[in-house]
Amino acid sequence: MNGLYRQNDPVDTFGMRVAARLEEESQNLPYVIVERLRASRVQAVNQRKRILAESSPVFLLDASTGALTMGHGGEHSNWWNRLGAAGLLLTLVLGLVAINVIQDDLRANELADIDAALLTDDLPPAAYVDPGFMQFLIFNHQEP
Amino acid sequence: MATPQELSDFLKSIDKRAFKRTVYHVRNDESALDIVQDSMMKLAEHYGDKPPEELPMLFQRILSNTTLDWFRRQKVKNAYFSSFSDFQTDNDDDGFELLESLSIEEPGTEFENPESATERKQTLLCIEKALLALPGRQREAFLLRYWEGLDLVETALAMGCSDGSVKTHCSRAVQALSKALQLKGFKP
Repeated sequence: MNGLYRQNDPVDTFGMRVAARLEEESQNLPYVIVERLRASRVQAVNQRKRILAESSPVFLLDASTGALTMGHGGEHSNWWNRLGAAGLLLTLVLGLVAINVIQDDLRANELADIDAALLTDDLPPAAYVDPGFMQFLIFNHQEP
Repeated sequence: MATPQELSDFLKSIDKRAFKRTVYHVRNDESALDIVQDSMMKLAEHYGDKPPEELPMLFQRILSNTTLDWFRRQKVKNAYFSSFSDFQTDNDDDGFELLESLSIEEPGTEFENPESATERKQTLLCIEKALLALPGRQREAFLLRYWEGLDLVETALAMGCSDGSVKTHCSRAVQALSKALQLKGFKP
C-alpha cells in the first residue's frame, strides 16, 4: 500500500495516519454488526455456489430405465460421466442420420422401379396424359 | 475466475471497512448493513466469474453505486436529500471539547493504560466527526484513496471522475480534516 503514495508528502502522510486510526476503529465493531456482516458474506458465497452449480448442466443416464435426462452436476460430478453421456448423445444423432439416409435410398429405388416399369411397357408414357386414353380406361372398366 | 473460497476471503477482508465507510455516508447502521449486503450479493451474482484481483475495484464501484441508489430512494421517499453535498455540516459550536490535547500517533504496541485508551478513543471520535463534516465527494475520495488503498487511477474509476478530480478532492479533504482537527487540539 505504501508504494501508492509519495514519501514525505505531508498530504499522503496525514491521510495514511488518519486511515490507520479508522482501520483500528473498524476492527472493534459491535458483535451484532460483525455477525450481520458474517451472515451477509455467507449468503453471498452461497449464492455464488448456487450459480456455479446451475451453470454446469450434465446429461445423466438412468441405468434402470435407459432414459437420458439432463440434470445439474454438483461438486461430485466427474468427467467420466460427462464423456459417457456425450458418447450416448453422439450415437443417437448418428443413428438418426443413418436412418434418414437409408429411407432416402429406399424411396429413390422405389421411384426408379416405377420409372423403369413405365419405360419398358408397350404403352408409351404419353398415353397417361391423354384425356381420351383416360376415358377409354374408365369406359372399359365399367363394361367388363 | 474466483472460487467461492477466494470470494469468501475477499469479502471477509473488506466487510468491516465497507460497513464503516457506508456508515459515514448514510449515518445509519441498519441502512449501511443493508447496502453492504446488497453489494456483496451483486458482486457474487454478477461478477463472481471475474479474477480475484479484479474483485476489489468491482466491489468499490458496486458499493458506491448501491449507496447512491440508497440516497436516490431516500430522496424519493423523503424529498429531503438532494446530493451528497447536502450532508456537509456547519455546526462546530456544539460544545464538544473533549479533544483538546489529542494527537494522531502510530498505534503503540506497548501496554496501553486507561488514560491513553481514552485519548485514543477521543481521537477516533474527533476524526469521525471531521470526516462526517466533509462534502460527500471529498470524503469518498479520501476514504478510497487512503483507507481502501486505491491508487489515483483506481479511485478515479471507482468514483467515475478524472485523476485530477481525485487529487483535488483528496487535497481538500486533507486540508479540511487537518484544519478541523487542529482546532480541536489535533497535532499531526
